[in-house]
Amino acid sequence: MSKKLVIDPVTRIEGHGKVTIHLDDNNQVVDAKLHVVEFRGFEKFIQGHPYWEAPMLLQRICGICFVSHHLCGAKALDDMVGVGYSQNTPMLPTAEKMRRLGHYMQQLQSHVTAYFYLIVPEMLFGMDAPPEQRNVLGLVEADPDLVKRVVALRKWGQEGIKAVLGKRMHGISSIPGGVNQNLTIEARDRLLNGEEGLISLDDAIEFAQDGLNLFYNFHEKNRKMVDTFADVPALNMCLVGDDDNVDYYHGKMRIVDKNKEIINELDYHDYLDHFSEATEEWSFMKFPFLKALGREAGAVRVGPLARVNVTKSYSDSTPLAKAALERFHDYTNGKANDKTLHTNWARAIEILHSAEQIKVLLNDPDLQKEQLVLSYDQSMWSGEGIGVVEAPRGTLLHHYRANQEGNITFANLVVATTQNNTVMNRSVRSVAEDYIGGNAEITEGMMNAIEVSIRAYDPCLSCATHAAGQMPLVVSVLDSKGKLVNEFIR
Amino acid sequence: MNSSVDEMARLLADYNNSDSLIYGIGNVGRQDDGLGWAFIDWLESESICPKAELMRHYQLHLEDADMISYKKQVLFVDASKVPELETFQLENIKPKMDFSFTSHAISVESILATCQTCFDYMPKVQFLTIKGYEWNLQLGLTTKAKQNLKSATDYFEQYINSGVTNE
Repeated sequence: MSKKLVIDPVTRIEGHGKVTIHLDDNNQVVDAKLHVVEFRGFEKFIQGHPYWEAPMLLQRICGICFVSHHLCGAKALDDMVGVGYSQNTPMLPTAEKMRRLGHYMQQLQSHVTAYFYLIVPEMLFGMDAPPEQRNVLGLVEADPDLVKRVVALRKWGQEGIKAVLGKRMHGISSIPGGVNQNLTIEARDRLLNGEEGLISLDDAIEFAQDGLNLFYNFHEKNRKMVDTFADVPALNMCLVGDDDNVDYYHGKMRIVDKNKEIINELDYHDYLDHFSEATEEWSFMKFPFLKALGREAGAVRVGPLARVNVTKSYSDSTPLAKAALERFHDYTNGKANDKTLHTNWARAIEILHSAEQIKVLLNDPDLQKEQLVLSYDQSMWSGEGIGVVEAPRGTLLHHYRANQEGNITFANLVVATTQNNTVMNRSVRSVAEDYIGGNAEITEGMMNAIEVSIRAYDPCLSCATHAAGQMPLVVSVLDSKGKLVNEFIR
Repeated sequence: MNSSVDEMARLLADYNNSDSLIYGIGNVGRQDDGLGWAFIDWLESESICPKAELMRHYQLHLEDADMISYKKQVLFVDASKVPELETFQLENIKPKMDFSFTSHAISVESILATCQTCFDYMPKVQFLTIKGYEWNLQLGLTTKAKQNLKSATDYFEQYINSGVTNE
């Protein structure tokens, strides 16, 4: 009797998704899909609003990567008013560095959330551990000192966001052509040196190294599982600078293959010329792909694993992260790494990389300078803008058009989770085949393995479909006639 | 209301100091989910507990365990969907690791338990919940939620006006 397994909703991700797995009469996997089953439509309701509201409103899609949405929108607005990258206008140094600082602060605290709160418990306790143990509150009971450090690290990142954007969440600092404030000496010194209740920058770097060492230890003990779990192919994409290294704020979109050969490199303003999006009736999330290669061969992976695959190296000013990256690159002999659980390795490297980049910026006197905004006038109005940044989860694009009155007439958001849709589905299929296929009895741990494959991408289904999520889990096992034969609820 | 609310309502006066935190949880963009913030609005507009730290956030975070470790007492205020609740409820909270964590939600009990476990300290924590009804993407409380908020604020206000409460 064939069966259909349903995980609905998938837990410990942002947003609401479900997984269905179809088994044949021999319990072999026939099909496996990640469905995204929510829809809100920020792109629609922003229409008619004044253009300058877009970076403020659209960042509210997400409570985790809001700075990325804010900056992406701000870059699009720079284009619209005529002083953006589409006009080849360089930003004022203070403005660009303030934007970058806010972005790295967010990347640090976002990655810390995903890595330590959502992923490390499973690394320490195992995918088969009881659900009440394999979460951060289980970690609180097992290793309170580690959690104390993690809380301190995330708090430091949040205080950095607050210093740059004015608020811990959904702050506003970027305006068309620049930013509305620089970084005060007091704020800088507080982040550098810490104070009672706030760690210092050096502490943050030390704690970030702790996170990387956690992965090394986990990898050492579970090498076979970590290296074979959802080892699935995809091209890798991220923004790169002129030095061929990842640039989280601005650069060319580079796509590389397994051998790290450049398949395509483009100005992101030309994104629509190169990418198309497929749709499926079973999901609200689209499937982007490179037109030239078609839907299967042209699917890209974005995010931490893609970035460490694409980047040639890191700057000498981030020596600890650079050394960690070299170790990562050596592990696959310089080839692109397709191992889904190595995304967590890459994420841990990027936590350290962010902390070191923040150190460079906090010591840069440009952050205290007074020239913050490029001047522009009505004659420079282009009415259209595209912004792209490397959000924590990967390449994020905002594209707006506005009429002569300045009201938004069109908005398109392509978020990282959408870019990863195909490779996430490949991961689900791979794990379903390896962990569930051939088993007459499906355990909770097996079903959790499916979720682990999804969580590695830290998907934000709320961003991808622009909705708020719910998190309880129901796993239903249905036979070929749709009759419920088993169910897991947690 | 629970039976001990009379006694606890008088204690609002105890929050009027810098060691106290009153923390409104919610999202004003989702109708009655804004009740927690509306209570903070009321405190500010009436200049009640001016010495306390007042805070508004969308959701609790694990870092809040660190934050409350610096406070002697904390009053969390949130909207409630509990069907049995008629208007509002004020209760003392005990630490309990209920494994409710997601990156979008964690319980007050778990925050307190985390504070106790990680920071070896436990402030006095109370939780005021006010019944809400509608949670759609829209600004403004429903009429019934406003009435419940008024019931809660009236209750505290009677002690304030009788001189039993804050400085």
